[in-house]
Amino acid sequence: METTLSPRALSVSEPRTRSLLLGIPLFIYATVFASLSIIIGLIWDISWHTSIGRDGLFSAPHLAMYLGAVIAGTFSGYQVLQITFAGNKLQKQRSVRFWGIFYSSLGALFCIWGAFAMLTSAPFDDWWHNTYGLDVTILSPPHTVLALGMMTIQFGAIISVLALQNRGDAIGLPTDQQERRNRRLQLFYVVAAGFFLTMLYVIVSEYQSRHDMHRSSFYMIGGGLYTFLLSAIARSSRLKWAATTTAGVYMTMLMLMVWVLPLFSAEPKLGPILNHIDHFQAFDFPLLIIFPAIVIDFVLNRYAAKNDWLLALMIGPLFLLVFVLVQWPFGDFLMSEYARNWFFGSETWYFGSNPDWEFRYAYAPWMVTTGWSLVKGLGIATILCIGTTRLGLYWGRWMQQVRR
Amino acid sequence: MMMKDLYRLGLCLLLLAMSLTAYAHIGSPGVVFEGNAGPYRLLVSVSPPEVIPGTAQIQIFVENGEVDHIWVKPIYWYVGDEGSPSPDEAVVSEENPSQYDGTVWLMSSGTASLEVSIEGSLGEGDTLVPVMAASTAQKAMEPGLGWILAGLGIFLVILMVTIISASVSDGTLSPEQPMTARYRRKRWVGAGLAVLVLGMVLYGGKMWWDSWANSYQEYIYKPYQATSTVLDTEDGRILNFEIDTSYLSYRGESSRASYLIPDHGKLMHMFLIREGSLDAFAHLHPQRKDTITYQVNLPPLPEGRYFVYADVVRWNGFAETIADTIDIPPAPPMQAKLVSLAEERLYTDPDDTYVISNPVEASQPQLPANAIVVCGKPGIETPLPDGSTAIWEHQPGEPVVAGKLYPMTFAIQDPQGQPAVLEPYMGMMGHLVVFKNDGSVYVHLHPVGNYSMASRTVLETRIAQDQKLPQLPDPVQFADSVDYLLASLQTMGDVEREAYLMAGMEHEAKNSDATHTEHATVTFPYVFPEAGEYRIWVQMKRNGKVLNSAFDVTVND
Repeated sequence: METTLSPRALSVSEPRTRSLLLGIPLFIYATVFASLSIIIGLIWDISWHTSIGRDGLFSAPHLAMYLGAVIAGTFSGYQVLQITFAGNKLQKQRSVRFWGIFYSSLGALFCIWGAFAMLTSAPFDDWWHNTYGLDVTILSPPHTVLALGMMTIQFGAIISVLALQNRGDAIGLPTDQQERRNRRLQLFYVVAAGFFLTMLYVIVSEYQSRHDMHRSSFYMIGGGLYTFLLSAIARSSRLKWAATTTAGVYMTMLMLMVWVLPLFSAEPKLGPILNHIDHFQAFDFPLLIIFPAIVIDFVLNRYAAKNDWLLALMIGPLFLLVFVLVQWPFGDFLMSEYARNWFFGSETWYFGSNPDWEFRYAYAPWMVTTGWSLVKGLGIATILCIGTTRLGLYWGRWMQQVRR
Repeated sequence: MMMKDLYRLGLCLLLLAMSLTAYAHIGSPGVVFEGNAGPYRLLVSVSPPEVIPGTAQIQIFVENGEVDHIWVKPIYWYVGDEGSPSPDEAVVSEENPSQYDGTVWLMSSGTASLEVSIEGSLGEGDTLVPVMAASTAQKAMEPGLGWILAGLGIFLVILMVTIISASVSDGTLSPEQPMTARYRRKRWVGAGLAVLVLGMVLYGGKMWWDSWANSYQEYIYKPYQATSTVLDTEDGRILNFEIDTSYLSYRGESSRASYLIPDHGKLMHMFLIREGSLDAFAHLHPQRKDTITYQVNLPPLPEGRYFVYADVVRWNGFAETIADTIDIPPAPPMQAKLVSLAEERLYTDPDDTYVISNPVEASQPQLPANAIVVCGKPGIETPLPDGSTAIWEHQPGEPVVAGKLYPMTFAIQDPQGQPAVLEPYMGMMGHLVVFKNDGSVYVHLHPVGNYSMASRTVLETRIAQDQKLPQLPDPVQFADSVDYLLASLQTMGDVEREAYLMAGMEHEAKNSDATHTEHATVTFPYVFPEAGEYRIWVQMKRNGKVLNSAFDVTVND
């Protein structure tokens, strides 16, 4: 006897799914997971290149990054096609229309762009290696295309959560569930922002290592970028301590990577090998951004009604002051023998670098900005921080308005 | 006059092109090795990468025993064996079951080697093949890939403009809010701004890419440059060869000419080839006058423009070729006596030699000379001026193909038609120069292959040490000690010197010529890098005199 299997029978019953997901579309969960998968893959990949050196197109870290791209790209692509060709009026009203026929959420568009940029970077990077050699650097043009792709997917995740949070759709949930839904969206938002901050840090990490912590350029680059992002996040989030929590997510993420990766064995597969290692070399210990991030939340909470320029004038210099006061001595600590353990992981050393280098755990004279140069450098960093905070607040205002 | 200028311009461009690919060869980057790995006799062909870091492709042929495993790994001079990764196994080729294929990553520029280890029925054995790791080329993008990337790039730009324009307009509208004229305008303004910003980003990206390409140009291998001049002195005609010191600015202290070491007992092996007709060839060994100036008594070569190739080896085993050209003027009549004196002086160094042969084109005039070497063809016996005959053992009419490993075997018979008894010449049973008629390929090789014996010795010595990173020696002391060694070699007799030069070397003739115990044949393994017309000079020694022969060959694709 022939039986017909209903598709419904294979799926979890709708009310149960609804209560589990709290009415938050699966797409949101997928994009946040994609963001996590990408950042884990990236840090793992850097560790792989520091420890093993040789990899293939389908190495495990690459697969983690591809997984993020595929999930984000597929879910977003499906969303566009579904809304365009089978969506109801409400779905279309919650979307932006483009190229005359398509409908999509902004987050999905960002994710699609990111997935295509990552796809583009693959043949570009392959050609680049064949033309200029295998670069042992994070910042090269094809890597930047890849990084832009990854960041855009991560930003897509942020925007997707944000649109939902800002819209506050009445979806008929009981009050307690509605509250849980709101909290979950707020949490997802800072988690997605934390992943994004981690990515931003990784991209500029060549200028943010412990050997750079006594340079004024460290504070110009770091101060400028982190104030921009964290001000925008703090303004657009509905959490009271959004910037601090975002920095906390960033620190937790990186610390976990520092603790977990060295548990696995690894052997350099490329010569010359100067540093003989037998386990994965961790990526850097996170910067203590959580402390200056408190400044942003504090000022925005206390002086919410003030003019944005005034807020920037308060946040910029204060952020930088706390950042310098915390990170400068922490740089000394990371150089000390107290940081050469599993917790701080400062023994991490590229297999191709001489482990007996005299400045492995010390600042060489050329790594330290002193005197007038330091005053000038920190002055520039202060002005930069004011400017980027103002820009971040402007950006945050736009993010508050995103609804589709 | 204009034609001459154009000709000179062409020659300069050719030399410029050559300079991009020169290190111990011109345009022939492959390394061929023939020798022993313990009990195994093997032939190894290496295609080094054009870009460092990159991968070298290796083909290995084992001539005896049953092979279980072959392993290959890179060993750099700088870090020695302890700084090498674990080896990778070579696998049996799908095309040829007697061939093993391996891949090795070369991560840094500099003197490197491949260690080939074999396990099999005869036990274990290993050997070292020197490879000079250097970036020599900058590749262009294939049009197909260019179009794909351009297409994706355009798509990404259009999509990003769309995203930005939507982000500032309807993206901020609540679902129930309709799209108004104001938001439509915002959309267009957003799109305009996006185009502007993306344009700036793309322009910045292009600048960045260009600066990267420029940095790569600086990183790319640049050979020593030199200036060759002819000096007519009271002592005769001298070739003065002066190395350009500007190399120090881009190659660093370790590349000082003070750090050159002898190969086959000579600090410099210089080859002169008469441009165009290729009918005059000389193999000379200039002496060091000071660290950058080398001089040699010029043999009575006919006037004309000559390609000059000087092979040298640095203290770290990096072997390279310095290329130049020189115009040799006609000998002034009143100095005829000096020329003949020079000729006599030439033979005070018995290893210097020159040969006049027929021109490559039948239409070119034949140079007058006492002894003309008529160039042979593969597989056809050719008489030599001293009455002996030479043959390149190859099936007549069978084409020679580029990219294929050939054991080029040359057999010599004495004037009585008997296999000749050959003697070592500078520690080798033969020297061979391969030259493509247009000057784009030059390589100097030996029966053991086309790597430098001095490089191999340096690498073996380095690998025998622990992993203490080498320090740069004092340049003056280093050069003095080398000069002292060379001076002591000069005082030795022929037999003693050959014995000294062959000591420690794997005497290939003993092994490769198992069926020719009388040393009447010498085999040079080689892979022609590209199709074209080639002239090959073979130098061997018989009855205490250098025996020169030459061959013309057409290499097909």
